[in-house]
Amino acid sequence: MANVEYRGMNLVIPENDSEWREHFKLARGHKLMLRACKTCGLLRYPPSHGCPWCAALGWEWKEVSGKGHIYSYEVVHHAIQPGFKEWTPYAVVLVELDEQRGKPTADEALRIIANLVTPDGKPEAEAKVAIGKRVRVVFQDLAPDFALPHFTLTEEPPIGRVWSLPS
Amino acid sequence: MAGLKDKYCIVGVGETEYSKHSGRSTRAMAVEAVKNAMADAGLKASDVDGMMSYQSGDSTPANWVAPDLGIRLNFYMDVFGGGSSTEALVGLAMGAIESGMCNTVAIFRSMNGYSDFRIGGTGVRAAQPVRGLDLAQMPFGMRSAGQSFAPTFMRHMYEYGTTSEQVARVRVAHSTHASQNPKALLKDRVTAADVLGSRWITKPLHLLDCCVETDNATCIIVTSAERARDLKQKPAYVMGVAGRVNKARTDFHWAAGPISRVAGYYAKDIVFGQAGIKPEDVDITGSYDAFTFTTMLQLEEYGFCKKGEGGQYVSSGIIELGGKRPNNTSGGHLCEGYTHGMSMVIENVRQLRGRVDDYCPGWAEGKHSYDYSPGKCRQVKDARITMNLGWAMPPTGSALILHR
Repeated sequence: MANVEYRGMNLVIPENDSEWREHFKLARGHKLMLRACKTCGLLRYPPSHGCPWCAALGWEWKEVSGKGHIYSYEVVHHAIQPGFKEWTPYAVVLVELDEQRGKPTADEALRIIANLVTPDGKPEAEAKVAIGKRVRVVFQDLAPDFALPHFTLTEEPPIGRVWSLPS
Repeated sequence: MAGLKDKYCIVGVGETEYSKHSGRSTRAMAVEAVKNAMADAGLKASDVDGMMSYQSGDSTPANWVAPDLGIRLNFYMDVFGGGSSTEALVGLAMGAIESGMCNTVAIFRSMNGYSDFRIGGTGVRAAQPVRGLDLAQMPFGMRSAGQSFAPTFMRHMYEYGTTSEQVARVRVAHSTHASQNPKALLKDRVTAADVLGSRWITKPLHLLDCCVETDNATCIIVTSAERARDLKQKPAYVMGVAGRVNKARTDFHWAAGPISRVAGYYAKDIVFGQAGIKPEDVDITGSYDAFTFTTMLQLEEYGFCKKGEGGQYVSSGIIELGGKRPNNTSGGHLCEGYTHGMSMVIENVRQLRGRVDDYCPGWAEGKHSYDYSPGKCRQVKDARITMNLGWAMPPTGSALILHR
């Protein structure tokens, strides 16, 4: 059972949480692992018991590259959680991974919510956050069996139009 | 969808004061709201035999509320949920009556939404452990409703060129409506510049893009058209209802795009199909306004304008009193007070009766000036058909079409 204190939050994963108990443990090995359906082969996130596309119950962990682009985002100025107040303004990004983009239908993809951070783990400057920019996964170790995946900007060319909220 | 068009109706509505400091229990508030709705309908305790409520661990169950009013129940049910529950529960109440389980159902929502359980995650909620599916978002500082919806709103701006100024006009319209509503918490009219000048909560949401958390209870009473005949009020007949309609991934909205699409995409065919009408037949909308963007997204998804043109629609004057199809004439969640949707159904019922409780001296007799200047009238002239667009989150919504 994982029981992690992080920014004033109590993150709890009981032993019978069969969705999450391995996810953050695998992240602690600095690998971004997703579940792949043993029947149709499609990857999925968040970890789920059944396959959202073929309803098969068999799955296996597969490592993905951790590379993708910012599909959407927000910049939180008024933190709700007390532990995030010192971090404001901080960006929450919706990252679309390179694997399985536009599959199995055009609008679907593997998308993950995380924070956009600098390579050393601080919140990335607000002015640098934009839809379309390329990112890669980085890990924040919180316990011997628990790490949070975040993303950081890379210099790779963007995907599509680069856009951010006009100031 | 066959539906039960015109067989059921809303015959009573009631609420407590909207405040930020109720100083009493959700049980006490629920009792008052139900009693007010019963008095409005002209129903005695022995006439009500069904009760339903919705909550998220922040309220009092129906079977604790009924005895306080001498009501013996043949049916009750408390469901888990917030926004978009009202419309769904109207449909469920119709089903309970249709199946013969009971005859008349009071539906309430009671919450100390400001002084106790704040929806934004502060107050009692802040201390709760983060587990299960919440681990996909909350550890990253995405906890409140606004934080959870913001990337949807941002993506809509990216895809369609929707601007902050356009959606600010939702707040402008609803504040105008609230200035005609003695019950409203925020009665001051605001301009688009006021909205854009208010502090950032989470981009793209300014403070005034967000609704006002509130302590309150609200109630509506549903019964058959036959039973309604000898009651006090002109019934509001249900033409169509869609309840908690989902997109493909309600667990994790982000997986199945386009994320700028909301549940109305699917709900509209159900509800318009039952009612046998089109969007242009609707006189008043009640598009849920937890945020300015919410109102806009739903109006375009239900076909009141083309997809992507919601920004133009809400900034065109159409949604304001005196416009072609006013939205949330009470001031809605942005200005009247946050009720998880019930107040918007209550307002539309009163509009259909022609007896909206504005500042016109003769409103209770249906005498209105139709002068929409501040502190005057908010009755829409000759309103025949209203529609509520309930929102839980981008991938879940409900809808209800009523006629007089």
